[in-house]
Amino acid sequence: MRAAGFSIAAVALVFTQGVYPQGAAIPRHPRDLKYQPLAYTPPKPADFRHKLSNGATAFLVEDHDFPLISVNVLVRTGDYLDPAGKVGLASLTGNQMRSGGTKSKPPAVFDEEVAFLAAQLSSAMADFNGSASLNCLSKDTDAGLALLVDMLRNPGFAEDRLKLAKNQIMQTMERRNDNAPDIEQREFRRLVRGDKHFSTLQSTKASVESITREDLAGFHRKYYYPANFVFAVSGDFKTPELLAKLEKALSGWPNGTEAVPPVPKPDYTPKPGLYVVDKKGVNQGRVRMGHLGVTFDNPDHIALNVMNGILGGSAFTSRITSRVRSDEGLAYQAASIFQHGTYYEGVFAAVFQSKSPSVAQAITIVNEEIAKLQNTKVTPEELTTEMNSLIDSFPRRFSTASLKAGQFANDLFNKQPDDYWIKYRDRVRAVTADEIQRVAKKYLGPDRMVILAVGELDAMAKGNPDKPQFSLDKLSGGRGLTKIPLPDPLTMVYPAN
Amino acid sequence: MILRFSIALWLSPLLSTLALLAQQVPVQEFKLENGMKFLLVPRKGSPNIAAGWIAKVGAVNERPGITGISHLFEHMMFKGTQTIGTKNIEEDLKVNQQLDKVRGEIRKEEQVLIQRFREGKIADVKDPKVRTARHQQLIKEFDDLNKRQKDLMIKDEFDRVYTSGGASGMNAGTSEDFTIYFINVPSNKLELWYWMESDRLSNPVFREFYSERDVVHEERRMRTDSTPTGRFTEQFSALFWKSSPYGWPVVGWPSDLEAISREDAQAYFGVNYAPNNLTACLVGDFEPAQAKALAEKYFGRLQRGLHDPEPVRTAEVPQMGEQRMIAHADTNPEVRIRYHTVADGHADEPALMVLSTLLNDRTGRLYKSLILDQQVANQASSTHNGQKYEGYFELRGVAKPGKTPEEVEKALYKEIEKLQTELVAERELQKVKNQLAAANFRGLQSDFNLMVQLLISDSLRGWQIINTDPPRLQAVTQQDVQRVAKTHFPPEGRNVLVFYTKKKNAGGGQ
Repeated sequence: MRAAGFSIAAVALVFTQGVYPQGAAIPRHPRDLKYQPLAYTPPKPADFRHKLSNGATAFLVEDHDFPLISVNVLVRTGDYLDPAGKVGLASLTGNQMRSGGTKSKPPAVFDEEVAFLAAQLSSAMADFNGSASLNCLSKDTDAGLALLVDMLRNPGFAEDRLKLAKNQIMQTMERRNDNAPDIEQREFRRLVRGDKHFSTLQSTKASVESITREDLAGFHRKYYYPANFVFAVSGDFKTPELLAKLEKALSGWPNGTEAVPPVPKPDYTPKPGLYVVDKKGVNQGRVRMGHLGVTFDNPDHIALNVMNGILGGSAFTSRITSRVRSDEGLAYQAASIFQHGTYYEGVFAAVFQSKSPSVAQAITIVNEEIAKLQNTKVTPEELTTEMNSLIDSFPRRFSTASLKAGQFANDLFNKQPDDYWIKYRDRVRAVTADEIQRVAKKYLGPDRMVILAVGELDAMAKGNPDKPQFSLDKLSGGRGLTKIPLPDPLTMVYPAN
Repeated sequence: MILRFSIALWLSPLLSTLALLAQQVPVQEFKLENGMKFLLVPRKGSPNIAAGWIAKVGAVNERPGITGISHLFEHMMFKGTQTIGTKNIEEDLKVNQQLDKVRGEIRKEEQVLIQRFREGKIADVKDPKVRTARHQQLIKEFDDLNKRQKDLMIKDEFDRVYTSGGASGMNAGTSEDFTIYFINVPSNKLELWYWMESDRLSNPVFREFYSERDVVHEERRMRTDSTPTGRFTEQFSALFWKSSPYGWPVVGWPSDLEAISREDAQAYFGVNYAPNNLTACLVGDFEPAQAKALAEKYFGRLQRGLHDPEPVRTAEVPQMGEQRMIAHADTNPEVRIRYHTVADGHADEPALMVLSTLLNDRTGRLYKSLILDQQVANQASSTHNGQKYEGYFELRGVAKPGKTPEEVEKALYKEIEKLQTELVAERELQKVKNQLAAANFRGLQSDFNLMVQLLISDSLRGWQIINTDPPRLQAVTQQDVQRVAKTHFPPEGRNVLVFYTKKKNAGGGQ
């Protein structure tokens, strides 16, 4: 084993270290400290991009500090491709590719080989992509790549492992209504996306039971081939040699002929209002409140990032955290997120958890902060803090070889323009207080808010006797609240209210 | 990641990547005259520095009445100083004093109510109706003072200075054994880190003390009270430790959280946050000579404590018989079995860690035997947790539908018995050693992880164990594994937590 020194990685980076003035007194306040400028140019994806002969793209970023190699693969497939009646098939295919051995090696043999190499090998499915990854000692690159490609190309889908996985899924399914965070995520998604979109369809006992080994093999055959892969490779290798190894490993693997279907957009307008899931046995209410957001190609998304940072995205320097948590002590977590969707609108949401009696007060505060952002300009100090934060922490996005390769692969997969990060900081710098007020008015909708609280309804409705001015009743504006019943966990049928 | 969180939850996986392999991490070490230690690992590559420091104090150093103070204190370290966070420090400190005085008076009123509650005369000490007029008046005074303090404050200035300086990932964590504070700063902002950290260590002001105590109480509700198994596992831990202070939760008992005062926090700070109880670490793009000069200039101003904090006195007494806890919860039928073992650094620890790794993962013995062959469980795992003063080994298994936790329990004992009676195969042992060695490399790759690991190592037995523990794991023999299996798992040492699924009321999931 070689000793790992810490060498200088090849990054486009200029940093002049100034001479430290010895003996100078400690400045009274950190604003009096003087810093050398930090010049930084982000790496260009084109310098690391390679097109393989059978259509796959690979980003290769060398890093020789440690004798390790990491290979990540993004695959054009996803949960959205579950066939009707078989919700859960994509996800099962993703994990059974790793668990079910390969055509030539039963699971026990395959797993032993991986374990003896001390490699990490995985396969999984997400909404809009499949993924696989290998991490092993660089001396084992050939053996590791062979295992990865065998898994990707020739999964065995052993019956006994599939049976076990289905049994485990069913057992977990029974617990669907026990964990408050799970309920909160699931029901909020239904409230903003409706019941019909793939992203809210839940697997059921029947759908999982109906999934067969042939279904897995069929799903795999349809989407797993080189032209659908984007590789992100980082670590201890020489680029030309690794390219040759990848070419060899993928050779003779024919591409599919059917195009991967596009991601379906949700067709649903959320109904604003106050919704409650009455969850017994907890002393805290979990709240998620928001509405639809924007897509990534919306030119306002950078201004929205800055706006959301000030509202609730930047922890203690943001308004929601500051008021709900540090002013009032009403929550441990209190924040907001403004997601930009790649395929359709993302979601804006403020989230917190507070003891049942103070839930109404905390919701009121969040509403006030949203209105304030629309009605008054953010202060210059808030704007500078948020902008500096985004600009000065920027180099950290690319601080390791694996972050670089991963970012490039993701951007290509999501069709981000090559110069997105090159231009990013200038776009942040161009945001003004007027601009923030404009996007707050345009994209935040107090009258569109869907407010979901998961907790003990009685305790939340009773409120805090010391603060009678806050109540769920007032929040609902006299329209009353809508109770969401818990579904049967195995059929996902919701009882009538 | 959540901020200022209790890291008790991820402590054990972190430690398991600590103790590995013969890679020599080149650390430059020096100590200031006041006793504060510095560890430097310069690494070029990205214009960034991972920076942190650790106080060798945690929940194990607490006592009844102030349980949770280590963690609450960690939250208070972000509330500013005599310079940061205030428009007028003289007024600010005056208000703080008044707040404490009023809070002390309120506490007296509360104690009367608590006594009346104890006697069964009132049902709820929080009900405003049971308060005296004086009590109500004090609460009003208290609220007014808080408002007054807010007017004097520059809200969250500590965070603002760092955030606008491009720092990120600022957080802190508290465990039973230590409290750690960390951040990433751009490499041109190294001096900012020195300024901010030495300032809060030399003159912290615990503003918003009482509302932050409420925040911590919300954290407890989120992590423990409102999860299906949180309160059960907390009580299992309290049952497991008979005399040792590891028995109370890091987040503290609710009654203590309600009662801890600012004076408690101040006294705690004086002893435990003196420089002679601290180690700092920098990993990333910086010049060591400059880092050293800045350390002397900024941290050199901290006063050494009058004496070093005393090690924990109370040791765990030997267990005389098996203990069982039967729980009905919204969870799958499950069994957990815990045995007392050895503290961090004990000669038996490497073999116990190897033993645990032998049992785990998809080629481990529990998966092969309990899940695939006997089909009695759907999940099974084990862990060894060697803490500073004591340690334990835990086995877990979730029963497969149709099987009982007792069947899983029996199968787990069978695996222990096998380890006691048969030598583990050479190849199986080598496989586990390979995995542990590779995990070491992986753990050292990130500047941030390395900084955290060096600090935790230093708080336990010295940072050098990051280099010296891995060879100890590689030296474990087949006989060692058998010997520790025979030593540490006697029947009278069992502590068993059995979960049954709680029956739902009619009407389904609600």
